[in-house]
Amino acid sequence: MIEDASNNGRHPWRILTVGTGGQGVLTAAHLLSRFFVARGHEVVSGQLHGMAQRGGSVQSSVMVDCGISPVIPEGKADFVLALEPIECARALRFVSSRTNVFMNTAMVTPFVVAQDQVRNRDMGPPSVQELEQAIASVTSRLRVTDATALAEQAGSIRTLNLVMLGSLFGADLLPYRPADFTDTVALAEENRRAFMSGVTWSSVLS
Amino acid sequence: MKAGDEVLQGRAGTTACLLGNLAIVRGALEAGVQFVSGYPGTPASEIGDTFARIASEADVLFEYSVNEKIAVEIAFAASQAGARSLCSMKHVGLSYAGDPISTIPYVGVGGGMVIVSAGDPSAITSPNEQDQRHYSSFLFYPVFDPATPEDAKNMTRYAFDFSERTRLPVLLRPTTRVCHTSGMVRLGQLPQAKNALGFEKDPNAYVPIPANVQRMRRELSARWDLAEQLLGESDFFSHTGDGKHGIVAGGVPYAYLDQVIRELGLESDVSVLKVGAYPIPESVLSEFLASVESVLVVEELTPFIEDTVTLSAYRNRVQIPILGKRTGHFPEAFEYSPELVEDAVRNYLQLGARAKRTLDVPELPPRPPVLCAGCSHRTSFYLTRKVFGKKTVYCNDIGCYTLGYGEVLDSCDTVLCMGSSITQASGIARMTGERAVAYIGDSTFFHSGLPALVNAVQADDAVTVVILNNYVTGMTGFQPSPTTTPHFNIEDAVKGLGVHTVLSANPFEEDLALDVLKQARGGTGVNVVVFNAPCVVNETKLGTRMDRPAYEVDQVLCNECSLCVRLIGCPAIFIEDGRYVIDQELCDGCDLCASVCNRGAIHALAPVSPVK
Repeated sequence: MIEDASNNGRHPWRILTVGTGGQGVLTAAHLLSRFFVARGHEVVSGQLHGMAQRGGSVQSSVMVDCGISPVIPEGKADFVLALEPIECARALRFVSSRTNVFMNTAMVTPFVVAQDQVRNRDMGPPSVQELEQAIASVTSRLRVTDATALAEQAGSIRTLNLVMLGSLFGADLLPYRPADFTDTVALAEENRRAFMSGVTWSSVLS
Repeated sequence: MKAGDEVLQGRAGTTACLLGNLAIVRGALEAGVQFVSGYPGTPASEIGDTFARIASEADVLFEYSVNEKIAVEIAFAASQAGARSLCSMKHVGLSYAGDPISTIPYVGVGGGMVIVSAGDPSAITSPNEQDQRHYSSFLFYPVFDPATPEDAKNMTRYAFDFSERTRLPVLLRPTTRVCHTSGMVRLGQLPQAKNALGFEKDPNAYVPIPANVQRMRRELSARWDLAEQLLGESDFFSHTGDGKHGIVAGGVPYAYLDQVIRELGLESDVSVLKVGAYPIPESVLSEFLASVESVLVVEELTPFIEDTVTLSAYRNRVQIPILGKRTGHFPEAFEYSPELVEDAVRNYLQLGARAKRTLDVPELPPRPPVLCAGCSHRTSFYLTRKVFGKKTVYCNDIGCYTLGYGEVLDSCDTVLCMGSSITQASGIARMTGERAVAYIGDSTFFHSGLPALVNAVQADDAVTVVILNNYVTGMTGFQPSPTTTPHFNIEDAVKGLGVHTVLSANPFEEDLALDVLKQARGGTGVNVVVFNAPCVVNETKLGTRMDRPAYEVDQVLCNECSLCVRLIGCPAIFIEDGRYVIDQELCDGCDLCASVCNRGAIHALAPVSPVK
């Protein structure tokens, strides 16, 4: 159990979505933007990284009623949805003890790791446990699961981003319920299943 | 609803969350734009892409031009024929258009003309960072510098009218954080009527021969003065807050400043002048300088506002501290961050330092860009290097194929700018006496490789130009290239330029490709190898992809020699617990890994994988 109701209704919100190119990070941010705009909020959303390429690092921010600045200041993310654990750790500078982090534990190994291995330069990426510890040392509000497995169970690995969105709405930290999201943003059946499995995961923890 | 639809159909008076580049499109539509051209380049690409999608519905003529110089020239010609015209490109593209842009202000525009040149502070996707605001004083371009998508929309909307009144072309300079940020934009009315079209002959007005240039230059000064006067009456220089501590800010740093002021509760402690356009009217500056006792200037890249403020203070005999880059309060290089602006504001107001913290993060492997699995460029590089060897100098160019850089493919010894691979290969071959190889893609070849190739033919340079023709402008988002045009034959174009040896092959037909490369290596003077193979990602996007099976590693035959990883650097090949494995979701079935494997341990799966 994670004791945390202090964020409930706290406003404005800064949400950071991170992962690797191809996982649907930008789509997740786009769906969140659409939801909050439809609910009458002012949204500023942007990519924090350069080229969003398949396999590259992707960070996308959704800032709700935060003014005009396009960038989340260090330590000022309220929520981090991490579709990949290395990328979660890479986003740690945006995290503070007040940040709620939802992390997928399924790692996408960077392609450079194989290059380092055959050239005897590196023993591989840090373990998921090490990454989890690094994040937990900053915030206790960390929720982890193999969200990729949940996506596969929902029907496709491509629904991973919906699992993560579901986790945000299932944690009861926003003044919106999961049904508010699914009523506002039309989802295909598979995506809806994925969203609800994320809801179930984080509502059990909360 | 697609983004393009929203930009066209959003109702006046409503507010939409628009990407900065789409806000620019909306502003142009509200102004009744009639002609749009451009060359793709990050972070400006979505402007052209959106117009490509909505042009006919919006009653706009649109073209992806072959290069930025042509984009500017044709937009100017459209303006001379009465049309409101816009062309978009990135900052380096505007440099390429340097010749036409320097004379357009002299001749003057007809219909309003706006050039959007997106800036890239920190050179996130460019070979340099540039401060295009200097075009204002350098070439007589009023420059608009948006801080937000809403600014970008309003400025674009305003710029066309302003351009017609001053007959000056206008530069809109959004940076990455405006282009690629979505923000709330209040939509205005789309026009009922657009400019009447027609070209009225008047050579005295249109031909800048010396006899006319004298007059044009004098008129230009008068029009520039009018521009400054109109800007002085505009909304683009807002003065907010109060107090003796002045801050002048422009572009995206203004948005950071706005946040810092609100978070620190400084609204009544600082007096802020937002600069949205250049030239900054003297009246605006003198009034502001008279109201404060010191100034902090917040702007990215060069100290452009800072120097203007300093000169104005000197002229107005105002002796107050003016702090910025010249005084070490801000760095000159790279984009700013909220933290950088906060630290400078705290320092300026003596508020004490921001709480710093140290994070304990394990070393994280990077995810640098890499050629896609199945990319034909990888095969082309691998085969070319096999024939030409590692001592040959490989001059590379701007495109996805710059990713030939690095220890694996080692196919990128030099890069400078669009089209420079051929020229650099010429220069190096001429000075070293050794044949050099130039790599260039189809879009870049037609952009600026053509004159370079003619130059090499004239000098009979010992260069082999390898044209990597994938039938699309891949890196910027799959815009069409000249070879996308049906029946366009790149080999014929090259022969027509006087190249005698023009060889072509599909790089995936290894024997033929190697044969062609050997002929090129043994040749004299200029020869050209055209490697034709469609971009695999674009094929998938278009649904034209041939069904190719994914590959797998036979764990019995594999002896973990590591050649497949070492030689080709394919992102689909991984090592898991010492075993070499291929990610079958990523694998595109190009066969290159199988061809480098000495043990025959890599083979295609039965052709059952569906079209991805």
